[in-house]
Amino acid sequence: MSSGGRFRALRALLSDPMGALGLGLVLLFVVMALFAPWVAPADPIKLNVAEKFQPPSLAHLAGTDQLGRDLLSRIVYGARTALAIALTAVGLAGVGGLILGMIAGFGPRWLDAVLVLLFDSMSSLPMIMFALAVITIVGPGTGTLILVVVLVSIPAYARLIRAQTLALSGADFIVAERAMGASSARILFRHLLPNVVGPLLILLSMDVPVVIMLEAGLSYLNLGVRPPTPSWGNILYDGYTSIRAAPHMVVIAGLPLVLSTLGFTFLGEGLRDALDPRLRRRVAG
Amino acid sequence: MSEPVLSVENLSLRYRVAGGAVAALRNVSLSVRQGEVLGIAGESGCGKSSLAAAMIDLAGANAEVTAGAIRLRGQDILRLDQAARRRLRGREIAMVFQDPMTAFNPVLTVGAQLVDFQFNLDGVPGREKRARARDMLARVGLSDPDLVMGRYPHELSGGMRQRAAIAAALLMRPAVLIADEPTTALDVTMEAQIIHLLRELRAQYGCAIVIVTHHLGVIAELCDRVAVMYAGEVVEEAPVDELFHDPRHPYTRALIACDPARIGKATGRLPAIGGRLPDLSDPPPGCAFAARCGIATDRCRTVPPPRVAPGADRGVLCHEAAP
Amino acid sequence: MTALLSVRDLAVDLPLGRWFGGGARALNILAGVTMDLQPGRTLGLVGESGSGKTTLARAILGLQPVSGGTLRFDGAELRRSADFRAIRRRTALMFQDATASLSPRMTVGEAVTEPFVIHGIRIASRRGKAAELLAEVGLPAEMAARYPHELSGGQARRVGVARALALKPSLVIADEPTAGLDVSVQAEILNLMADLKDRHGLSYLVITHNLALVRHVADRIAVLYLGRLVETGPTRAIFAGPGHPYTRSLIAAEPKPDPRQRRTDLAIRGEIPGILRRPPGCEFHTRCPVARDICRSAAPALHDLGPGHSVRCHFPETTSKGG
Repeated sequence: MSSGGRFRALRALLSDPMGALGLGLVLLFVVMALFAPWVAPADPIKLNVAEKFQPPSLAHLAGTDQLGRDLLSRIVYGARTALAIALTAVGLAGVGGLILGMIAGFGPRWLDAVLVLLFDSMSSLPMIMFALAVITIVGPGTGTLILVVVLVSIPAYARLIRAQTLALSGADFIVAERAMGASSARILFRHLLPNVVGPLLILLSMDVPVVIMLEAGLSYLNLGVRPPTPSWGNILYDGYTSIRAAPHMVVIAGLPLVLSTLGFTFLGEGLRDALDPRLRRRVAG
Repeated sequence: MSEPVLSVENLSLRYRVAGGAVAALRNVSLSVRQGEVLGIAGESGCGKSSLAAAMIDLAGANAEVTAGAIRLRGQDILRLDQAARRRLRGREIAMVFQDPMTAFNPVLTVGAQLVDFQFNLDGVPGREKRARARDMLARVGLSDPDLVMGRYPHELSGGMRQRAAIAAALLMRPAVLIADEPTTALDVTMEAQIIHLLRELRAQYGCAIVIVTHHLGVIAELCDRVAVMYAGEVVEEAPVDELFHDPRHPYTRALIACDPARIGKATGRLPAIGGRLPDLSDPPPGCAFAARCGIATDRCRTVPPPRVAPGADRGVLCHEAAP
Repeated sequence: MTALLSVRDLAVDLPLGRWFGGGARALNILAGVTMDLQPGRTLGLVGESGSGKTTLARAILGLQPVSGGTLRFDGAELRRSADFRAIRRRTALMFQDATASLSPRMTVGEAVTEPFVIHGIRIASRRGKAAELLAEVGLPAEMAARYPHELSGGQARRVGVARALALKPSLVIADEPTAGLDVSVQAEILNLMADLKDRHGLSYLVITHNLALVRHVADRIAVLYLGRLVETGPTRAIFAGPGHPYTRSLIAAEPKPDPRQRRTDLAIRGEIPGILRRPPGCEFHTRCPVARDICRSAAPALHDLGPGHSVRCHFPETTSKGG
């Protein structure tokens, strides 16, 4: 029944134009990232200063940057960096938030109080300050970036899950389970989990672009991905610094950020509707 | 006999839905006179709430009146422009809902809202509006109106909220008060008090009251005349005593028979009405009740039933009801 | 014969202000509740919202911690959570909101076979068992693939009954089994419950504020007011001669579906006081038409009015005086 349910959810997602568009955009970036060496027309770090600041042309579909590197290739390879960091970080934070949130919402009250205090104090730290502090201690790099994102995002996810769990544990169908003698584990995994994952999924997919932006921002500060590894942040930074010499760079470097943001957001909303049987009626009927 | 304050004439209304339309009201006619309490009875899906919403012009964006008229003192409100219709709402026709919580804005005090509801009264000073609001709260039986004025809707009990909602509806002295399931959300003792209140208000103000409910007990306690609805049609209309003691339509009879409140002592089984409502996106050609009716003939299944008048002020939509 | 369910002096307190108050303040929800349910019988638990009737049901199932008194099921005392877990195979709960009691992401088929999974009972085919249970409540097997939101109110109620019956329980606790249902559907559900009772020898604890319902289904009635049992007795005796003024008011407040029996006076005024402001003495004295000084200061004891009929009142009316 569950595999059939998943196919039904996929069909529902595809039948929603926005969801299908989101899925398409996300798949486009994933394919770009996975097959970067085949998709990219040129070497993303090969310098050719003679051809710097070229506008888009047949030789360089997206033009070149201040060092004459092929911009399209850099964007394709940048997708690799961006998605690897964003998906890993958001995924880990999502799992962490899910577990902590459900413990807080379903567990004993004292544990809930302790965890809520923890979440609140974590999220009262400004994200950038916190990131800088962690980078100072651990040193810059991809791993540090992921660690920062995980630590910063967990409280928000955990709070969402906790609120959902608390609201649902008083719901009639959960009381019905308890009255039938269901164990806490069964209530948690069979009944609460599927009902709280939906809202988390949409939050997660909407946060992927935020992490991509954070990566870009930290890379701008030279605290994220180290050059010459192509990252959308680095490319955007290069674009800003060269905005007078080659205004097309900023626009082209901004496009993947905009498109991936839209893609993940549409996908998130589409998933939420597709995963909820209550909103699936039109497809079934 | 006085002229009707509000009359619905051959009203048909449908809702546009994905892939077609649902005929929620079909050729509905009824009227209510000044000082009269009209009950609209029926089960869920019979169209009684659509009718109440249409009377106050709140049927929703996907509703479409395909035929008929709704006349307030002879004037067809469906022919008025938007602004004129809006002026009627609250001033001439007011509504009380099943859940009084939805009638109030949760972030304003009851007093502030009762003052706001009088926005139509140009030139009346705020102090007088407050006094009118306070006075109306006292009239609906709230023992401490000043306290209620300062409270937020959620701070009142269900019964007090319903009283306040009735006060809000009566503030502008409407000609017609429409109450949609006004006691359904309340406990028995509160229900009795609201019924008592509505009776008193009818006597004091002489406004026409339309009560929409599925609860036959409320109809019997409160109404002068009753219209029974089934599948978007008024299948029987009669003075209340005749409806309960001499019902003519088979559906009315079945409805009265299966109410457990009628049965004095425990019987093993209650009479039930088998079957389901017909699909209103494709209403049956004959009588809508034929499929569930014990006395239906072939004619009932194919020919729409006539409206016969078995007595003064009575109407039955049935082939088999003797005139 | 030993009672299937026996409740003695049951009390439920909700602790208050544990964090700041320091002292052991507690909100007293139920106190001194004593009642028995014999096998194969139906006990009607009557009360308005705030009377504690739902808390009592939850306490019986171990879903609400008790602070005093004893509970026995089939002679065995229920103390620890392990005791309650053991009886859950033999008890079932039917919810007031049947749709909300079904997991929104589970199909009907999964929902009705859920009790087998919970208790690790092997069944040959989940699909076959679902069809069998659905057939028992008069639903077609295709219904198993539906989700709760696709069901009508009556269908959801039937699914709730099917799930309750899955493990062949001895006791079914039904919380407002007909609330929100149309009269004709209500009759169908009550008939279904009666059939299943005969077929499987069930006992019911029916919790409701609907007196017409208990008069129809219950052998005995227990009336709760503000967490106290004010009257218990055989249904017939209580309706023939209610001993407690509250019971009398409740019976009088019920709207009669007969305009010739309209009551002209108001049976009961005021509302149930909040549980935070429990009146001293007899809880009901603030609304009681016959309250005297002693009622305001001293809590009344239980008096016997007849065989199995007792009432908690200083001035119990006997059957001869009743009315």
